[in-house]
Amino acid sequence: MEEKFKVIAAEYCELDADKITNDMSFRDDLGMSSLDVMTFLGDLEDEFDVEFDLADDDKKLARISTVGGAIELLKEYMD
Amino acid sequence: MDKTLHTMWSRCAREYSALPAVRWLVKKDVQERTYGELCAVTDSIKKGLAAEGFSKAHIALIGTSSVEWIEAYMAVVTTNNAAVPLDCGLPAHDIIELIQRADIEGVFIDAKFSALIESIKANCPKVRKIWLLSEEKCENTETIADLTEAGADTDMPLPPEENDICMIVYTSGTTGKSKGVMLTQSNLYSNIEAILFHIPPGRVFMSVLPVHHAFCLVMDWLNGFWMGGIICINDSFMHMVRNMSIFNPHVMLMVPMMLETIYKRMKALGDNVPPEMLRKKIFGQKLEHIFTGGAHLEPFYIEEFAKYGIKIFEGYGMSECSPVISSNRPHDCKPGSIGRPLPNVEVKIADDGEILVRGTSVMQGYYKMENETDEAMRGGWLHTGDKGYMDEDGFLFINGRVKNLIILSNGENISPEEIENKLALNDLIGEIVVTGDENLLTARIYPDQETAQGMTDEEIHTSLQKILDDYNHDQPTYKQLSRLVIRKNPFAKSSTRKILRSEVMKDVPLV
Repeated sequence: MEEKFKVIAAEYCELDADKITNDMSFRDDLGMSSLDVMTFLGDLEDEFDVEFDLADDDKKLARISTVGGAIELLKEYMD
Repeated sequence: MDKTLHTMWSRCAREYSALPAVRWLVKKDVQERTYGELCAVTDSIKKGLAAEGFSKAHIALIGTSSVEWIEAYMAVVTTNNAAVPLDCGLPAHDIIELIQRADIEGVFIDAKFSALIESIKANCPKVRKIWLLSEEKCENTETIADLTEAGADTDMPLPPEENDICMIVYTSGTTGKSKGVMLTQSNLYSNIEAILFHIPPGRVFMSVLPVHHAFCLVMDWLNGFWMGGIICINDSFMHMVRNMSIFNPHVMLMVPMMLETIYKRMKALGDNVPPEMLRKKIFGQKLEHIFTGGAHLEPFYIEEFAKYGIKIFEGYGMSECSPVISSNRPHDCKPGSIGRPLPNVEVKIADDGEILVRGTSVMQGYYKMENETDEAMRGGWLHTGDKGYMDEDGFLFINGRVKNLIILSNGENISPEEIENKLALNDLIGEIVVTGDENLLTARIYPDQETAQGMTDEEIHTSLQKILDDYNHDQPTYKQLSRLVIRKNPFAKSSTRKILRSEVMKDVPLV
């Protein structure tokens, strides 16, 4: 799952998927804008067939700052 | 014929009655409402407002884009009341402060933000009624259903007059307080009338920007309605690209950050995909025109999108001008410029290069802020704060700013002073300047030497980061401080002890 996650993340930055590590920040290390992160989350929904609940989690989603943090969130939704 | 939104809306109801006006998603199903249906609901809300005694009142709208939000908004602006759309992403105490300062008497609020209701009741004595933006009844709170029921036997209120204040839009203030831009019925009407580009009724718009912004309200909604467009609501930024293939828009309004994100998606699909296929995959079947504004767009994107048959038209405006001042248009454009001024505005470049504007869409002033109004409206001209020039063909170009406003590529205007004033209240912060670098806000702080005495560098860093984290906690994403730079020396100052903003990036290492 993490591998696929990073392949999708790599579409938004100039880094290869295997160079993306969990401690990296979407903004500072991957150079993604807040909108890139939101669109990326939309891609994750399609790829992993989950639905992030915006009504409750809007602020939580907006604050996902690291790759590891987003992977954890995705795992929660997949369980 | 009166230049009011009531006149416009009555014509839309008459001419486009059977056409779809709004489309939105419930889960993944597309819902739709026609102009006739939409108008019937707004009429009921108008009668409800009259029955509840709302006349020349200020009515706030709090929520994200929805059919109920737009129905309530159209009802308010087609009466003699004024709509005050508020940014639902603001911290609760800021929303309460705006409700108080704007003398709000009625509030329409999205159920997602119903936690605010008790606080509004406790702190805003002028608010007489709060309605949930729902057409269903609700046990503990009044809703639109109760309002329309209250007006069932009431006559339709009188239409507004051209000079009635129609909308108050809050915009970043450099003194730390946001300012309420007062726009009349005729301000808005004349702006829409001047922007028009000719497309037949039934064209699809997809609205992706926050609905409380004047740019979105006027360009997507009012302008779209004027032309008989079908306005589709994007339910989340997360789904923007997916929704383009669901709604298949012809026209979209975006800020540069959105174009940058879409460009990344295009590149990710690879250069080997035929342009026509890529275009359909990303933009849907029919997208022709994208209007952009709010921040500068690199002309590079205009060229790149043109390869896929998508034309981008950059424009320029501010809430104070209802909001469009100039725009490139399908048959009249020059990439890199922000277009020619609209026919209803006059643009003059001051000696210091500042763009000055006057005309029928310029605001009446800032609500209850006379000094700020006088400052902005010197000599009968609106001072935009932007520097620019006009070329020999009459196209306007921007090349700098007079004020300190930071313009992010998502179109949000950030007043650094507003954030600095809040943070400077902390004892550990001696001096602070907020800058915008690569679309992120950076706090540059010189610690207060007395407070920092005895602390290690690490302790200072941890404490300052904690101050930023606490500040960020209840701010919308675009106002959050992403970076911290701790200075070793105070900032350079002018002779009047003001920090020289042009020098803030420089710091001298301690010897």
